[in-house]
Amino acid sequence: MTALSKLPASKITGAISDAAERWRDADFPSRVRATQRIAERTGYSLPVVEYALDRLFFSIDRASLEAVIAGELGEVEILDGFRKRADRTEAWARPIGNVCVISSRTTIGVALLAALFALCAKCDVLVKDREDSLIASFFETLREELAEFERGARAELWRSTDDETPALDSFDAVVAFGRTETLAAIRNALPPETHFIGFGARASAGYISRESLCTAEAAAEIARGAARDIVLYETEGCLSLHVLFFEEGGAVSAAALSETLRTELERADVEFPRGEPAHERLAEVAHARALGAFRKSGSQDALAEPPPFLPRLAHAIPVANPADALEYVRRHGLALEGFAVSDNRPDIIGMAVSAGAVRLARFGELQNPPLTGEHGGRPRIAEFVRWTDKTF
Amino acid sequence: MNEAYRVEADALDADILAAIAAQNVRDFDDLALRIFAHQLRNNEPYARYCASLGISRARMPRSWETIPPVPAGAFKEAALCTFDPARAELIFQTSGTTTGAGGIHYMESARLYDASLLAGFDDAVLGDAHQPLRYAMLLPSVEGKPRSSLSYMMARVANTFGDGRPSWYVDGDELDTQGFIEDLCESRASGIPLCIAGTAFAFVNLLDELARRGMQPALPLPSGSRIMETGGFKGRTRVVERIDLYKQLADAFSLPPHDIIGEYGMTELATQYYDRSGEEPRAKVGPPWLRSYAVDESGKQLPSGIVGALVHVDLANRSSCAAVQTEDLGAVFEDGSLVLIGRERGAELRGCSLDAESLRAVS
Repeated sequence: MTALSKLPASKITGAISDAAERWRDADFPSRVRATQRIAERTGYSLPVVEYALDRLFFSIDRASLEAVIAGELGEVEILDGFRKRADRTEAWARPIGNVCVISSRTTIGVALLAALFALCAKCDVLVKDREDSLIASFFETLREELAEFERGARAELWRSTDDETPALDSFDAVVAFGRTETLAAIRNALPPETHFIGFGARASAGYISRESLCTAEAAAEIARGAARDIVLYETEGCLSLHVLFFEEGGAVSAAALSETLRTELERADVEFPRGEPAHERLAEVAHARALGAFRKSGSQDALAEPPPFLPRLAHAIPVANPADALEYVRRHGLALEGFAVSDNRPDIIGMAVSAGAVRLARFGELQNPPLTGEHGGRPRIAEFVRWTDKTF
Repeated sequence: MNEAYRVEADALDADILAAIAAQNVRDFDDLALRIFAHQLRNNEPYARYCASLGISRARMPRSWETIPPVPAGAFKEAALCTFDPARAELIFQTSGTTTGAGGIHYMESARLYDASLLAGFDDAVLGDAHQPLRYAMLLPSVEGKPRSSLSYMMARVANTFGDGRPSWYVDGDELDTQGFIEDLCESRASGIPLCIAGTAFAFVNLLDELARRGMQPALPLPSGSRIMETGGFKGRTRVVERIDLYKQLADAFSLPPHDIIGEYGMTELATQYYDRSGEEPRAKVGPPWLRSYAVDESGKQLPSGIVGALVHVDLANRSSCAAVQTEDLGAVFEDGSLVLIGRERGAELRGCSLDAESLRAVS
């Protein structure tokens, strides 16, 4: 029996929503402390961290949580006991048990959402926190809302090299965010009956159609959004814009679009000032830019160049059609998370889906995924429950 | 070969060699711009790049600092040389990353490279050495790694300045710790000072192995010995900060800090920077035919002391590209010295550092 198993699910979602509401206030003392610590850990500038926390906590509300639960499980109450289901057996979505969530180095709060949905499923949750203790701080607020979280929601900081680390094989499910090698190591350490949910490193792309480049104003609006998608989190996130395809033949020329994008990147630099990663990797960025110019001077096909994966730098590639973009993604073996698109043209949408993107968004919204969507192409809560059917 | 080319190249080489011999470049701008003009005429991919930046024979730069630097990575993508690479006397190849191919630096003549490296090493590392050193290289030999600029450089150094008994302790991916210890003991017994040269990663492996054998601190080097360390740890699972590494080396071999000298070079350059002194922070200085500056992300030159991407202008690179933009972060000061920042985790390394990744000590 888990710490939250006797609580109605709606009480859990309510408590989480209330705690998140307190964290929406930028002056909330716990948030103020966490903001500073996150900035120190990630090296991101304070406006970037504030943006991330706003985006995180404004997205967490009772309605959204319950909409996800109802969408994935049928109804919220099915977490509380057996419920009749239309055309299906009566069933109860019970907690899978103990869940361990291992957060990644760069992301801000992504582990929190996984942990919260595991809590909604009434699991006991242990989060491997980062040095900023964001999760531990939020769990404190949760405990102030509802005492049962004391036992149900824990966050600790440990390193894999520590003498005493939680035994991962004691968990019923392990959620991990990180590099492919890290995920493979964790997965290999787990017994077969442990449910492993891994979120590996991914990239994101964007596609600007020639139709959307109809006027300078339209191009500027797209560029503004693209610039935001590039600079946020120093282009280190899986939803950062790493590759930008634009169709040739639009009313706005490639050179004009490039200039507009440069202007908008400068503006975005003001709104979201550069953090340490951008400063530390300045030489690599400068070199990558120069190398891009060198390749261009030799008429090298831009499709041959892999994405640079450097802070505030995206590879802009002129293409004739979506097929070129798809070829690029496949040639360079890009595992895609998001795809920003300038319009709803069916061949572009089809290409983005074929390329493996699990989220399509408008430019400027790539790094703002709604809570009500899936994460990484996977359900948010369904993997934290074990179904019990009642067939009599 | 075009006669006019040969005449011009020989004249430039003579001027560069004279500057190296004199340890003085009378007019850096003049020589740099003459070399640039030569490269613009004869180095086609570089000329195309310069043209794309608006630089041509009709629109020449006015000073050495405005010569367009070629990105070091371009050496992976084109034969950046003023001559037919089939005629190259020296061919050096970067180790590349663990996933990518290495760049190739073709040099028309060994004379310039040899003169430059020997003069630089003599001045910065040997200094007041009273007798020939015995060279102990934690590197693969030239035979084992014929395209390693670092192995070539140390072979030339040992042949020129050494006692005639150089040793190489890296073979393939193995570090011969036992052989190193035996040779070191022999040197100590005979009182012959050593110069131990190697990559940072190789030194870390050596120290680990010595510690494993319980031999630290127990290997004081004969008086007058030196250590030359180069490179960093890119792509390695284990990174030791340079200051810590130097302290460990000083302890292990009973050397004063100023006898542990950091070298900074690149396969794409013919000339090297060396630590000016053993005091932290260690500034590096180059010889008069090598100058540097830092640029911002867009390639704009930064004022003295401001951290940016390093650009080097090496006059000894006559037959390739004199101006090279690196992936190294650092600051250049008014006296021409530079401080590297974070190269331990930074750009690709020259020569053998990557090869040392999987060094396994021979037990």
